[in-house]
Amino acid sequence: MYSVKEPDAGTPQRVSEESVTLDVDGVSVTVPAGTSVMRAAAEAQVRVPKLCATDSLEAFGSCRLCLVEIAGRKGYPASCTTVAEAGMKVRTQSDKLAKLRRGMMELYISDHPLDCLTCPSNGNCELQEMAGVVGLREVRYGYEGANHLKQEKDTSNPYFTFDPTKCIACSRCVRACEETQGTFALTLVGRGFESKIAAGPTDFLGSECVSCGACVQACPTATLMEKSIIDKGQPDHSVVTTCAYCGVGCSFRAEMKGNEVVRMVPNKDGHANHGHSCVKGRFAWGYATHPDRVKKPMIRARITDPWREVSWEEAVTYAASEFRRIQAQYGRDSVGGITSSRCSNEETYLVQKLVRAAFGNNNVDTCARVCHSPTGYGLKTTLGESAGTQDFDSVEKADVIVVIGANPTDGHPVFASQLKRRLRQGAKLIVLDPRTIDLVRMPHVEASHHLQLRPGTNVAVINALAHVVVTEGLHKEDFVRARCDHREFDKWKAFIVDPRNSPEALEETTGVPAIEVRAAARLYATGGNAAIYYGLGVTEHSQGSTMVIGIANLAMVTGNIGRPGVGVNPLRGQNNVQGSCDMGSFPHELPGYRHVSDPGVRDLFGAEWGVQLESEPGLRIPNMFDAAVDGSFKGLYVQGEDIAQSDPDTHHVTRALEAMECIVVHDLFMNETAKFAHVFFPGSSFLEKDGTFTNAERRISRVRKVMPPLAGLADWEATMALSNALGYPMHYDHPSQIMDEIARLTPTFTGVSYGKLDRLGSIQWPCNDKAPEGTPVMHVDEFVRGKGRFVLTEYVPTEERSTRKFPLILTTGRILSQYNVGAQTRRTQNVVWHQEDRLELHPHDAEERGIRDGDWVSVRSRAGETALRALITEKMQPGVVYTTFHYPESGANVVTTENSDWATNCPEYKVTAVQVGKVNEPSEWQKRFAEQARQQSGLLPR
Amino acid sequence: MNVSTVFVPRDAAALSLGADEVAAALAAAGHQVIRNGSRGMFWLEPLVEVVTPAGRVAYGPVTPRDVPGLFENQTLRLGLTEEIPYLKKQERLTFSRVGVTDPLSLTDYEAHGGWRGLRAAQAMRPAQIVEAVVASGLRGRGGAAFPAGIKWRTVLGAAGAEKYIVCNADEGDSGTFSDRMIMEGDPFVLIEGMAIAGLAVGARKGYVYVRSEYPHAERALQAAIVAAQPLLGDFDIELRRGAGAYICGEETALLESLEGKRGMVRPKPPLPAIAGLFGKPTVVNNVITLASVPVILDEGPQHYADFGMGRSRGTLAFQMAGNVKHGGLVEKAFGITLRELLYDYGGGSASGRPIRAVQIGGPLGAYFPESKFDVPLDYEAFAAAGGMIGHGGVVVFDDTVDMAKMARYAMEFCAVESCGKCTPCRIGSTRGVEVIDRIRVGQRREANVELLRDLCDTLIQGSLCAMGGMTPYPVLSALDHFPEDFRR
Amino acid sequence: MNAQKLVKMANEIAAFFDAEPDRQVVLDGVAGHIKRFWDPRMRRELLRWLDEHGGEGLKPTAIEAIRTHRDELVPRA
Repeated sequence: MYSVKEPDAGTPQRVSEESVTLDVDGVSVTVPAGTSVMRAAAEAQVRVPKLCATDSLEAFGSCRLCLVEIAGRKGYPASCTTVAEAGMKVRTQSDKLAKLRRGMMELYISDHPLDCLTCPSNGNCELQEMAGVVGLREVRYGYEGANHLKQEKDTSNPYFTFDPTKCIACSRCVRACEETQGTFALTLVGRGFESKIAAGPTDFLGSECVSCGACVQACPTATLMEKSIIDKGQPDHSVVTTCAYCGVGCSFRAEMKGNEVVRMVPNKDGHANHGHSCVKGRFAWGYATHPDRVKKPMIRARITDPWREVSWEEAVTYAASEFRRIQAQYGRDSVGGITSSRCSNEETYLVQKLVRAAFGNNNVDTCARVCHSPTGYGLKTTLGESAGTQDFDSVEKADVIVVIGANPTDGHPVFASQLKRRLRQGAKLIVLDPRTIDLVRMPHVEASHHLQLRPGTNVAVINALAHVVVTEGLHKEDFVRARCDHREFDKWKAFIVDPRNSPEALEETTGVPAIEVRAAARLYATGGNAAIYYGLGVTEHSQGSTMVIGIANLAMVTGNIGRPGVGVNPLRGQNNVQGSCDMGSFPHELPGYRHVSDPGVRDLFGAEWGVQLESEPGLRIPNMFDAAVDGSFKGLYVQGEDIAQSDPDTHHVTRALEAMECIVVHDLFMNETAKFAHVFFPGSSFLEKDGTFTNAERRISRVRKVMPPLAGLADWEATMALSNALGYPMHYDHPSQIMDEIARLTPTFTGVSYGKLDRLGSIQWPCNDKAPEGTPVMHVDEFVRGKGRFVLTEYVPTEERSTRKFPLILTTGRILSQYNVGAQTRRTQNVVWHQEDRLELHPHDAEERGIRDGDWVSVRSRAGETALRALITEKMQPGVVYTTFHYPESGANVVTTENSDWATNCPEYKVTAVQVGKVNEPSEWQKRFAEQARQQSGLLPR
Repeated sequence: MNVSTVFVPRDAAALSLGADEVAAALAAAGHQVIRNGSRGMFWLEPLVEVVTPAGRVAYGPVTPRDVPGLFENQTLRLGLTEEIPYLKKQERLTFSRVGVTDPLSLTDYEAHGGWRGLRAAQAMRPAQIVEAVVASGLRGRGGAAFPAGIKWRTVLGAAGAEKYIVCNADEGDSGTFSDRMIMEGDPFVLIEGMAIAGLAVGARKGYVYVRSEYPHAERALQAAIVAAQPLLGDFDIELRRGAGAYICGEETALLESLEGKRGMVRPKPPLPAIAGLFGKPTVVNNVITLASVPVILDEGPQHYADFGMGRSRGTLAFQMAGNVKHGGLVEKAFGITLRELLYDYGGGSASGRPIRAVQIGGPLGAYFPESKFDVPLDYEAFAAAGGMIGHGGVVVFDDTVDMAKMARYAMEFCAVESCGKCTPCRIGSTRGVEVIDRIRVGQRREANVELLRDLCDTLIQGSLCAMGGMTPYPVLSALDHFPEDFRR
Repeated sequence: MNAQKLVKMANEIAAFFDAEPDRQVVLDGVAGHIKRFWDPRMRRELLRWLDEHGGEGLKPTAIEAIRTHRDELVPRA
């Protein structure tokens, strides 16, 4: 029977400087001190029978199948819970052990259904396998005794079932929920024979369960079973690939039957996720084959015309001719492209290459513009590289963890599990967030300090923290003197110690009690290894770049940079947002973050590409919109981003899109932007192509094709075709050749190749002669820019502030089950958890407006108005309201304004002054939106 | 009737027999009533003692109706308490004050030798305290009989600034009550013992895990903790109540429960002495173990070690219950035989019929037939005879007992009280009940007896803790010594 | 391009340098940022605004920075 299960050493790996040598069945084996006898046996290629043990969980010792004999010891110790010792002589097979194991198995099977042949686990069931291994031949107890075979199956979760009749009460699920995921949703209830696994008081869906799949993964039987396997049967092969959701970049095995995915299973060898997953990557992959997928290219002359399905050739030729026409008419700089942070490095690289080489300008940007562009700017300015400093595993060495403007349990759930595990081990937590995010207080996790600041006052708080560190003499003078630019530091020090930056002076501005700021600063500076993790709550502000700089300043001044356990860690939103930036998607930078004005770099690329490159920076996305409204920008190739939904100030975006003459949308679905498009290139999902993604820790991982592109061409092939039609020849047989080109041109990628990726599993750039296997932690001996640079971070309040007319501040975020604009997750059963975006507000603000939970309320800003249903919660602070933006009809961006970060134009999504009031009907915009949606769907081919 | 000072026990056994009413009647008659602990002679409860120039004179069992003219009542008069043979023949080291003093009077405690052990310990280095306990030979009285001093030595030597003393007061064995009598009758001695343990291993925090079925003990101990706290320096004791699970008397399940989790057994190693409560080095000792420490420090380890036989040093508080005439507590040096205990103290069965079987060491202890009544009560000798002394509970059955039913009960008890973690205990116990049922009705008897023995072997060799590992003892002993009961 | 927007953006860049004590750093910083990140048509429009409207609405530091570095800000033809 073919099994796609990975080998399981039974208990987790131990790391120790010490090693012990023991003898297992006559085989001498040396293992790190602390290793279990079971794992030592596995290393000696001796498989001890087991059921409750699995190497992702700490040993539990309940199944008693793994009993062994150890010379000089009484009885039959369990090999999973017994630690290997030097000189130990272990016997794993004897008549007595065989009898005991059969006795154990006889008991199990006396309370188990005898339906192996029709069981979904058939062929991949540990219980079945062990019954065979121990040689069970009869069950002398019979099957008439007390049993658990009449219990009801819980099918409430959309993705898996819980069938208690098949449960062997090994608690692997309970332990996975605790140890792996950190949610504590499952428990064993009852005593003795009545002991049963339970998820909350009702069922899985009604429990605290976050559907991460860890329990299903851990289950040795069919008790917890994916519905897809129940429906389709066990897979016949599997392919290792990388998740296409968030910036954690989990490694998965796509388990296949022919060309069909039957299950996505987190890869134990995955360096970012170590075998863990979240509800999105694990289960929400059904969008890839959703009927909404567009499978044929389409074109139309005007956006009011019906779409016409055409061949790839016709679509590509039409698009190319339109771009050339526009350039001839309005100038070379009148067209541009947007790369996708959801596509691969290779695809992103090709799109920017197309813009620079075929269009002949630098009008290329990427969706990082609207999320982490300030990270790139801020970290490059201070540290010298536009990326996070650590690997995820670094958190396991952190003593103080600071989470700023990020909600990892929703946005980066798999990393959050690792972080929570560290907190359970005793690390301290500081949260800076206007909302009471889950991490502030959840099972076995509580923040030492929650600095619940007012939206828009980040820089004031970070300055106050640094002020306390420096004025109280808590900074690491020796680190600063050795590693940083002294002149800049002295200037910064004079700035930061100024009383205007004290927590007391800023208390009224930030709303955070000075005493809390002081305590948090002391903890950060003196609590051991301190690591900062931050998200879009840092960057999406008018002072987003300033805040990133402030964070880097704080890390440098406390010496918290350049070793495991510390650092500045942006939690990247999308799967390849780091990669798309690395690949030269910004209008001012070529791949590897090298400015277009640098003639040497231009010559390098120019020679490889056979063109002369433009030396002036191009338009950023918001500038493109402005230029479109202005009439100087007329054509756009958008790959894998729905700018009409995700960019702020929808009214303005709409005007810009309507003003353009050729918009080519390259996407999986007819998205909002496609309503304004003239050409539609059907995209390919991550399952349909080869490539690489780069996650938040600079980790490059392989994406592997498991099925042919539904529309015939992978995205990189379509881009190539468009380029060729434009008259700029591109020819690659495989994305590996694109990566080879990237490696030739980019010093931080010199050592990267598909061959090496296959060998190492993944690589963190920089990867070159200096670091042939990559760089987990950056800035170790010196900063990338040489000396670390302190930069002054004056707090400049945003112009967006509450007024009599707009007395509340709206901030935005996302939720675990949905992903960004929801194009993928809304097309999965994840909608069970989140069917609509709601407006969260504090009971006080609700009371004042006579709003009750579930009421329809209008949300009005100076930019626009929409309507949502209210959710009243004390997670909000009074004066601040919040919504997610996963549904287009919610129109969150109708309300957000054109304000943006001073340095990068990253939109200020996180601060919008609004008024909220009860309404009975949708907003005007929503009515128009619905009407337009109706019209546009009428234009689709039947 | 003259106004006298009288003692009426506040012990739960006495209360259940009407001690409160008796005390009220005596107070109403103008006597000065002191509520003491029980002397441990339950067939005499409520036992009233009157202070006389010759000493305390006992009357019992007393009802409120007996109060008028009590002191003249020759039927109830038992003479000087100390001279009652049941008491006089005992060797009370741990229970020396129980029944004598007002349990919550610090003055009484001090006057009867209290705090002398703690003061002695305060003058010693931690290692010296530990070695004194090692030298005394004191072994864990909860059941496992592990040398207390060795355990303390491990905790003392374990790295870590934070350590704990945990007192196991989850006295769940059937027919046992010595822990309860200490907590109700002399709680300060337990507190003193814990404080000494704290000094010995470097712990500043102690927990007492009291079973929920002991409300009086809990109240008495809580009041005693409050009263004694100022005398304990920086050692702090907290009381925690269990929730009715037998398994929480198992030390690792108890630690889980103390941590707020489901009471489930942890694999050992790691030993609690290395990684116990909240992962810190922890002394987990039974009430009697800890309550025996003060006298060891006070009188010196040799004094304690002079009692007993073989490797079983000191005394054990035997508790007799079931079908026995004189049920109660007998503290004796190890070495006394079961027969002496049953007849010289217990006075034979309560029913007057021959004693057929005795279960020693709680619900998981073996049943002994009469032929084994001469085995000396000594840990090793008892183990050699296929039994275990455990916590010292002795439950007596006369010749009307059905031992197959008792064997079934052992399996049923396990099925109900198992923590549900390991397979043999969780499923095996239920299968055990079913197999015994089949044997009892004569269904494929030989094959099922063989299966039952196989199952017992699986339980003994395969279980995670003593619960599953010992459940077969009563079953196998019944099968071995009383096979006829399985063939009715 | 909408000049008002560009004025706002330039002012925000200038505001970042408000705390900088060294005047030269401020002027180089503001102009350098615009040069490195602004597309030519944006710079052209900003310069036009400065020329035709005297830089109305621009912060003095922004005006001074643009004037000081005017030559570098003019896009290549």
